[in-house]
Parts: sequence; structure tokens; C-alpha cells
Amino acid sequence: MNNLRIRRFTPLQRLFHFLLILSFLIQAATGLCRMYVETAWGQRLGRLFGGYDAALEVHKIVGILMIVGFIFHAAFMLMRVNWKHWKESLFGPDSIVPGTKDAAQFFQHLGWFLGMRRAPEFDRWGYWEKFDYWAVFWGMVIIGVTGLLLAYPIASSRLMPGWGLNVAFWIHRIEALLAIGHVFIIHFFIAHLRWRNFPMDRTMFEGSADLHAVHHERPLWIARLDADGRLGGLQVPEAVPIEKGIYYVFGLTAVAFGLYLLIGAIVNAPRITW
Amino acid sequence: MKVNISGPGRRFLLSAALVFSMLLPPPAAGQEEVSSAIRRYRDREASTGFYEQYEVRPRRQQALVEIPGLRKGLMPYSPSAARVRVRTRLADSHQGLRFYRWLRCETCHPGQGKDIHTVRANLTCRQCHGTEPIASIKHYFSPMNPIRRHAYVCAKCHPGANASYAAYVVHEPNPARVATLETFPVLFYAFWIMIGIAGVTFVIFLPHTILWGLREVLEKKEKPNRE
Ligand code: HEC
Ligand code: HEC
Ligand code: HEC
Repeated sequence: MNNLRIRRFTPLQRLFHFLLILSFLIQAATGLCRMYVETAWGQRLGRLFGGYDAALEVHKIVGILMIVGFIFHAAFMLMRVNWKHWKESLFGPDSIVPGTKDAAQFFQHLGWFLGMRRAPEFDRWGYWEKFDYWAVFWGMVIIGVTGLLLAYPIASSRLMPGWGLNVAFWIHRIEALLAIGHVFIIHFFIAHLRWRNFPMDRTMFEGSADLHAVHHERPLWIARLDADGRLGGLQVPEAVPIEKGIYYVFGLTAVAFGLYLLIGAIVNAPRITW
Repeated sequence: MKVNISGPGRRFLLSAALVFSMLLPPPAAGQEEVSSAIRRYRDREASTGFYEQYEVRPRRQQALVEIPGLRKGLMPYSPSAARVRVRTRLADSHQGLRFYRWLRCETCHPGQGKDIHTVRANLTCRQCHGTEPIASIKHYFSPMNPIRRHAYVCAKCHPGANASYAAYVVHEPNPARVATLETFPVLFYAFWIMIGIAGVTFVIFLPHTILWGLREVLEKKEKPNRE
């Protein structure tokens, strides 16, 4: 096994992903502890944050920080687009914007799972990564807007009739459960637990991916970099063991906490008044 | 006519007045308060307490909320309160009900005990519906009447509550039920659209992810030296 790695994420992107992990886990825990306050599990979870009422304060503060982070992220993304050549920039192979090719690769991938077709050759971003990105993107918009409405109900009932709060509450709740389910089952599994990445893919923490594995899974990206002569410049050495250790401990702790929330929520679901 | 009181007669009257004044109650600020209907308990309320003057008049919100019962369309004032009932306009909605006094509210109104206020905030029914007699929601003088509900009920705990805020449906109908399509259509559609989005995501990605996992385990068996 050679330890050559290829740079995949910038330090800023890694920082944002790290902040997203932290805030998402806090929001999931504080939100679930309120939703499950009728159960012992929910009350125990709430005690982590100082109780049922304090958990709401934490939830609101972290939620507003997330909205601020999201606005910065959106501005950053808009700045990254090369507006002079916006077509190539938005729909080119380096873009996270999904295209028809992603749909085709999704079906080809399914065919490969069933042993009927060859594995698709991915470019820089696989269709599941694009889906993850945009699911979080729109999820943030939906949860952020309904969350703001609920956090300031007196002010928001000036903008809409008060029963809009009933609606906002259900949208907020279902979107949150969808996000929790998607991240704690599907994202965790694909990024960490599937065999090629097991026990954890450090890419998003370390910023670089194993060159060999990338070559295997994303040959189109490597080929493009090679053709442009950029491949050599992107190669970086592996992180020192202690740094690697920190990534593993943090990542696996986050996964474990997420699974604890997921299992607790599923097991206790019949015990709450919906 | 001239009345001339002098000597012992005058002294008698003065001491009688003194004795009489001792029988009067001492001046008390509380009496004054009771005598003023408007200012009563004003200091204890989160609202100004001047309901009649301007608080009941919805200002900006008026365009957004409708009068209950007048329209049962997409946006009724309070979807569940607008339903027509037999006993909806009584000063005492339990008038003539037998055994009422010996039963708990939840016995007869099982559905109303499932709202967030009751389940999570542990409120009792009476903290909103008040003491006996419990007026029907739409009785003209009921504190729950939407023209004053925000000030008489909600503002006790939610300072600044306005008429629009009070249109929040406290006893929310189950959004999944077909019956909700009648009483609160927006909630019904919002619920099912969101469930649809969540359902499609999981129906596609759960099997996808499981198959992917299985496939990679098989791949590893096929060629153990993958690196
Ligand atoms: C004996 C059974 C019984 C008990 C106990 C009872 N109710 Fe009722 N209540 C009724 C019936 C019957 C009605 C009239 C039908 C309806 O509106 O559902 C009614 C009507 C009402 C209404 C008016 C509904 C409207 O549409 O305007 C309110 C508010 C109410 N009850 C609250 C309470 C509260 C609070 C308690 C506990 C203190 C309580 N009830 C206890 C049977 C009962
Ligand atoms: C937070 C205040 C609040 C509490 C607590 C509360 N109610 Fe209500 N109730 C309302 C309001 C407001 C309405 C008017 C309709 C609506 O918004 O759902 C209402 C309506 C009702 C009605 C008329 C039918 C309906 O659903 O619209 C009944 C019956 C009733 N309440 C019974 C109860 C009982 C029984 C309890 C205790 C378990 C209770 N309420 C607790 C505020 C409250
Ligand atoms: C006796 C105090 C009290 C009264 C009266 C009261 N509320 Fe509340 N309300 C609360 C408390 C406490 C909470 C917080 C519940 C929680 O955090 O779980 C709350 C929460 C709420 C929420 C947020 C619920 C959500 O979806 O998260 C709304 C909206 C609301 N109340 C509306 C009303 C309306 C409308 C009225 C008048 C009909 C009213 N309240 C009357 C105490 C009250």
C-alpha cells in the first residue's frame, strides 16, 4: 500500500464540514430531547444541555449560528463560480451541480451492485455526493426558515396567520427527521462503514484522499488532472499519526453519537404523543 | 329655620360623630381598585389590560385572518374552532350535562389532551379555559372568542400575543388524517408533501445503500488484494 494522497478539500471546506458536524449533532440532540421529553431517554438527553428549557435556548442559538454559516457558505460558493464562463463553471466536471450524467451513473451503479454492469467511472463528485450536498443545502433553507418562524412566534404571526406556526412546526419536524435519517444512516454508511472506506474515510477531515483508491473509484478526475498536468501539484503526504488519530477519534465519536440518537429515536418513537 | 345647638347638646353630637367615625372601615387602596373595572389587575397582566380601548382591535393582522365560520376555505381563522357544533354558543358549554362535576376533562374530551401545551408544558385545561362556567369557544363573551382570545388567554403567558398569534391551533388535528383535509387543509398538504419527500428519499437510497454495502463485501472476497 502506498501512502500517496491527493488533495481534495481546502482547509476552509474542512472547517465548514467540521462546524456542520458539531452543529448538526447539537441540533439533533436538542431537538430530539424536546420531541422525546415524555420518555426517560429524552429527559436524559435534555439533561446534557441543562434541561428541557435550556435545550431550546441552545437549539435557537446554534440554529442561528448555522444560518449565518450557511449564508457565508452560499456567498463563498457564488464567489467560486467563474461568472465569465458560467456555463462551463456551473455544469463542468468540477461542479457540484447535478446533470444527466449523474442520473445515468446512478443506474449504472445500481447495475453494478446487481452484477449486471461494469462499475461506473466517476469524476470528481459522485452522484451520491451531489445528492448529499443539495439535500443539506435545501434542508438548511427549509429548516432555517421554519425554525426562525418558530423561534420568534409573535413576530412571525405578524407576517402570517398564527396557524402558520402549526404548519411550520410540522415541516420543521419532518425535515429534521429526514435529515437525521439520511445523515445517520445513508451518509454514515457510504462515507464510513462500507467496506472500501471502513472504518472511516478521513478525506473530509484530512483534506486529502488515498490516491490509489481515488484512481480506482474516480478515474475520470485523475485522468483530467493528469492531462492538465495538475496531478503532481495536488499530491500531498499523509498526515502524521497523531493527527490521523485525532481524525479517527473525532469522526468515530460523531458516528457513535449519531447512531445513539438514531437508535434512541427509533426505539422510543411509539412512546411519544405525536 | 334656625337650629341652635349649644352646651351639652353640642358636646353630645361631637362625641357621637367621633364614635361613629371609629366604626367606619379605614381607608383602603384595594377598594378603589375593585371599583374600577378597567384598571383591575392591570399590573399583573403582561398586556396593558386596556382590552376595550385598542387591544382587541387587530391592527395589521386583520387582513390576514378571517372571521370564524364566515369562510371555511383554505384559510379559516381557526380551522378547528370554525367547525359547527351544537353547543358552540353557550355561556356554560356544559349546561345540563349529567355527572359533569365528577368527571375529568379528558374523559369527555380525549382528543384535546394531546396538544403540546398539555403534553409537554404540563398546562391544565383550566389555565386556558378558565373556571366554571366554561363558555363555548364562540360565545360572545367567552374569553376564548377570537376577538379577545389573544389578550384574555394567550397573553397571560405569551407577552405581546396578537390576534393573529391566537389563531394558532392549540388542539391541532392529526395532520395525517383525511378528516384534517376538511378542518385544516394546509396542514394536511404540508404534512403529506414532506412525508412524500422523506419517503422517496428513503425508498431510493436505503436499498441503494444496502446493495452497495453488500456489493463491496463481495468484491473484497473476489480479489482480496485490493490495494
Ligand atoms: C361529562 C362530559 C364532559 C366533561 C367532564 C367535560 N366536558 Fe367539555 N363538553 C362536553 C360536551 C358534551 C360539550 C359540547 C359538545 C362539544 O362541543 O364537543 C363540551 C364542550 C366544551 C367546550 C366548548 C366547545 C366548543 O366548541 O365551544 C369546552 C371549551 C370544554 N367543553 C372544555 C372542557 C373542560 C376544560 C373540561 C374540564 C374542566 C370539560 N370540558 C369537561 C362534555 C364534557
Ligand atoms: C393553551 C391553552 C389551552 C389549553 C391548555 C387547553 N385548551 Fe382547549 N382550546 C384552546 C383554544 C385556543 C381552543 C379553540 C380552538 C383551537 O385553537 O384549537 C380550544 C378549544 C377546545 C375545545 C373545543 C373543540 C376544539 O378542539 O376546538 C375543547 C372541547 C377544549 N378546548 C377542551 C380542552 C381540554 C379538555 C383541555 C385540557 C386537556 C384543554 N382544552 C386545554 C386552548 C386551550
Ligand atoms: C398558562 C400559560 C400558557 C397559556 C395561557 C398559553 N400558553 Fe402557549 N405555551 C406555554 C408554554 C409553557 C409553552 C412552551 C411549550 C414547550 O416548550 O413545550 C407554550 C408554547 C406555545 C407555542 C409554541 C408551540 C410549538 O409549536 O412549539 C405556541 C404557538 C403557543 N404556545 C400558542 C399559544 C396560544 C395561541 C395561546 C392562547 C390560546 C397560548 N399559547 C396560551 C404556555 C401557555
